[in-house]
Amino acid sequence: MAKSKNLLLGIAAVLLVGQAFINVDYLHPRWSKEYSMGKQGGLASGLGADQAFLELLGFREFLAGMLWVRGDTFFENGNYDAVLPIIRLVTMLDPKNVDVFGTGMWHIGYNFTDEDQRSDRRYLPTALALGKEGAQQNKETYELYYEEAWLWYHKIDDDYPQAVRWLKDATSKPDIPPARRNLLRNAYERNGQPDEALKYMYELQAKAKADYDLDPSRQTQADYGTLTSNIDTTVVRLVQRGNMAKANGGYDQGDYDTKPPFNVGFSAKVTVLEPKVLLVEGTWNVLPVGTRVRVVLRDKDMKDAIPGGADWDKMATSVQLDPPRDLTFMQDQLFVRNMHFSRRIDMSKDPTMYPFAKDNYIIEFYYNPRSAPPHMQDKFGWNGEGMTDTNFLRTDVRPGGQRIMYTSLDISRDQILQRGKWSNLTTVLKTKNYKETGGASGADDDVIMVPSLRSTTSPSAATTVPPGGATNSKG
Amino acid sequence: MAAAIETKKLTKTYKSRALGKINVVNELDLHVEEGEIFGFLGPNGAGKTTTIKMLLGIIYPTFGEGYVLGREIGDMEVHRKISYLPERPYYYEHLTGYELLRFYDSLFGNHDAEKCQELLRRVNLAGDASKTINQYSKGMQQRIGLAQSLLNDPRLLFLDEPTGGLDPIAHREIRDLILSFRDEGRTVFISSHELSEVELICDRVAIIHKGEIARQGKLTELLKGGRIEITISGVPDTLAKQLATGGVLHQVADGYLLDMPEDEDVNAVVDAVRNASGKIVSMVPRKKRLEDLFVETVRAAKPSEAKITQEVAV
Amino acid sequence: MTAIWAIASSTLGEAIRRKVLLVILLIALLLLSIIPALSVLSARSEMSAMISTIYFVIRFTSALIAIILTIYMIPNEIERRTIYTILCKPVQRWQFLLGKYLGAILALALMMGIMTALALIMFYWRRPDVVKLAEVAKQPVLYFVEMSLLTAVAIFFSTFVAPLVNFFITTGLWLVGTVLNPLYDSFASNPQTGPIMKVMAKIITSILPNFANYDVKNPILHPGVVIQNEASYYLTTVGYGFMYIAILLLAGIVIFDRREV
Repeated sequence: MAKSKNLLLGIAAVLLVGQAFINVDYLHPRWSKEYSMGKQGGLASGLGADQAFLELLGFREFLAGMLWVRGDTFFENGNYDAVLPIIRLVTMLDPKNVDVFGTGMWHIGYNFTDEDQRSDRRYLPTALALGKEGAQQNKETYELYYEEAWLWYHKIDDDYPQAVRWLKDATSKPDIPPARRNLLRNAYERNGQPDEALKYMYELQAKAKADYDLDPSRQTQADYGTLTSNIDTTVVRLVQRGNMAKANGGYDQGDYDTKPPFNVGFSAKVTVLEPKVLLVEGTWNVLPVGTRVRVVLRDKDMKDAIPGGADWDKMATSVQLDPPRDLTFMQDQLFVRNMHFSRRIDMSKDPTMYPFAKDNYIIEFYYNPRSAPPHMQDKFGWNGEGMTDTNFLRTDVRPGGQRIMYTSLDISRDQILQRGKWSNLTTVLKTKNYKETGGASGADDDVIMVPSLRSTTSPSAATTVPPGGATNSKG
Repeated sequence: MAAAIETKKLTKTYKSRALGKINVVNELDLHVEEGEIFGFLGPNGAGKTTTIKMLLGIIYPTFGEGYVLGREIGDMEVHRKISYLPERPYYYEHLTGYELLRFYDSLFGNHDAEKCQELLRRVNLAGDASKTINQYSKGMQQRIGLAQSLLNDPRLLFLDEPTGGLDPIAHREIRDLILSFRDEGRTVFISSHELSEVELICDRVAIIHKGEIARQGKLTELLKGGRIEITISGVPDTLAKQLATGGVLHQVADGYLLDMPEDEDVNAVVDAVRNASGKIVSMVPRKKRLEDLFVETVRAAKPSEAKITQEVAV
Repeated sequence: MTAIWAIASSTLGEAIRRKVLLVILLIALLLLSIIPALSVLSARSEMSAMISTIYFVIRFTSALIAIILTIYMIPNEIERRTIYTILCKPVQRWQFLLGKYLGAILALALMMGIMTALALIMFYWRRPDVVKLAEVAKQPVLYFVEMSLLTAVAIFFSTFVAPLVNFFITTGLWLVGTVLNPLYDSFASNPQTGPIMKVMAKIITSILPNFANYDVKNPILHPGVVIQNEASYYLTTVGYGFMYIAILLLAGIVIFDRREV
């Protein structure tokens, strides 16, 4: 027995050495490279040991799924703050869960709002960073590239080069539905590249034609039809707005819609009605409904701020569950009716969103024709060729010489809070050209029915179907 | 006749943390002849089961040697010719009686359905062959155990407390079966503390106490030395004392009680009492029982070095 | 061989009647049958959520069954003295041990087979796609090899430790073994890890049974992940499992041979 025992133990020892080599030299490296779920993208490979533990048990997706179900009830109860960490955890546990990334971005980007449904833009970098991470983790699908692009296109709504960049990535993925490809054309147009838009549409049209020839179904026919009519629209605009003529050098001679530039005559007055409650009034000499002038109130020394906004991409470095709590950044739209605007902006009910922690603030007024609805653009042109303003036309606040209306007013915390020497005084700030018109602005302005953003910007229904829950979007 | 079991100084030592080394079985010299029913007796914890396990090769002796059917213990060949019925075993309860026998049969590499049926008939379980073991009574379980122990037609059977915990009828059935084994020429090694049973069927016995053999021999010889009690009256004291030379004399109410070994000349006593016109009130033979022998042995045994009376479970 | 087979089949017969195991199996089957209902949780990643939940239930339940089944197998035989009636027959101890192991594996195969079959039916019902079904069926096969290895771990320890201790040792080894790869990777790639610690980590990963290798669900869950020469990986993990099982059984046989029962 002793002899055979030694033999058995000897065999076991040899096998032990053998298994170690197989495991260390072959199986383990291959597993880590190909079968590990945490290593696919850059960000999620930073998972801690505890998360790795869950992953290996197969808990990962399971737990992610369960957490997401839990998150759903928070959604229903409106407990949005509680949803945020769940989104982060679920996307870490299951970085392949495209839906959670997508819903999470929309939620973070749109759902944190104040009492007047102004969204908390301090969250935008987080939403953008989450989208970046999700796209990194899911390079095989167009979806998160598209979601990211949508945030740039629709929510941030003036940094169109970013929208174009992300949409180019999205449209390069084979799984993107044909209708969603059309958003790139809109982005090109808003980015002041109507020629690119047209070129791109011809490409799509050729493809749609080929698809239709291959499979003459109602769907392929509709796709082809939509493209053809969109091309018509763009060609008509290119002609009427004078872009064609510009390309041919005949712009000066012809009579185009964008000639001569129209003076919008902007003026504004800001009155502090109560602490943290402002009344913003002013003029805008455009009669048709559809103008929305952006107003921003923010810390004067805000890092990464640019006129009328912020460098959101620069800020979107990582997914921060907590926005910068001491930053105040309010953005709203001033709707113009009868060439006037008047809006009461109440920031008193949301002290966490508007902490007013700094001494000095700036109120900015910003109008970029690129974001204007098409019927306005027909006059202003894609780059503002058809727009001017006696006092506030600027060509230096956005790259490429875009013609933009921009001005700003300084205001202090004491003025906003009606404290210190302002406790008994009413702060009234005006642009130099503001004239009291007497009764032109008033409470009755508040009842104007303002067309929603979606219906006014859509050249055709197919191009502006918002992804996911974007229907919940508010200002 | 050849020896079925032979051990020389067979010893099993366990180490206990509290008590150090304990010889559960100490220098055991056993001798069992072929063809006999051998009773291996002792109180609980005397080392009976340990000895059997060593003989079966289930555990290993610390010291000494042992031979079963002429081969050293632990030899696999021997296992073809012996069988073992442990004390209160549990069989695979999900099996039927028949399946259980087929299972044990296959351990020998056999697949003899006919033999299994026959054994079921033999232990009177043919009618319950398709019931599962958990539906069997204790007696039935013990009988199916005996049936499985006969599968290999063994020359030597080890039965550990074969009648333990059974009712009188079951006792009798088992006893008859064991006796039939001897008629078939098998050697039966019974370990038990139920002396009345052993007395009825065993040819020879060994009494083990605290791991050591206290007595070993033929039952007829070991039980020699019965006594006879004669109560007499109406005889003179002198005669009574004279008659009592071979035994013990007790004075009782109406005469004397004479307690004498059974092999003394009883007739001479009777004649003497008659001649003296005395009266024999009663004459009661007191046969020696195994129980007496056992108690006697256990009491007389010198206190062993083993201080533990319970078998050490491992 | 007859003896081994007889012991294996009786072990199987006993195992599939163990109430604890049946209850665990039943719970798992219930879970598996409601998984399609759970999957509404996210409309589009439903597929991967469903598959991963199925895998989780199968793997976790199988491990639980394997451990509970095995840790009591030999101690029960001894306690009930059934082992004596077997070892006094011409059955070698190694045959007994192998028979027990084989029986446990058969029981496991049966139970895992039932779970997998139900899971696949559920899957097919939600998505009638034979190609994907075949893809999904691959992982449980490797889980079976994993559980065979886990059973060998449990039976090895059951030759010399008590069931409760064995439960903790075997469960612990499994848990550690399932995270061995990522744990080692994150440890080795951490710049703060010293060279001695790295060598230690390497030694530990070389010695412990590696259960992580059997988790191959990534490409099944995420169709974008493409694996080159998958067959060779599968064959190697199976071979690795067999080697490790052999090591444990050989060592177990040597220990069990001298074991006082």
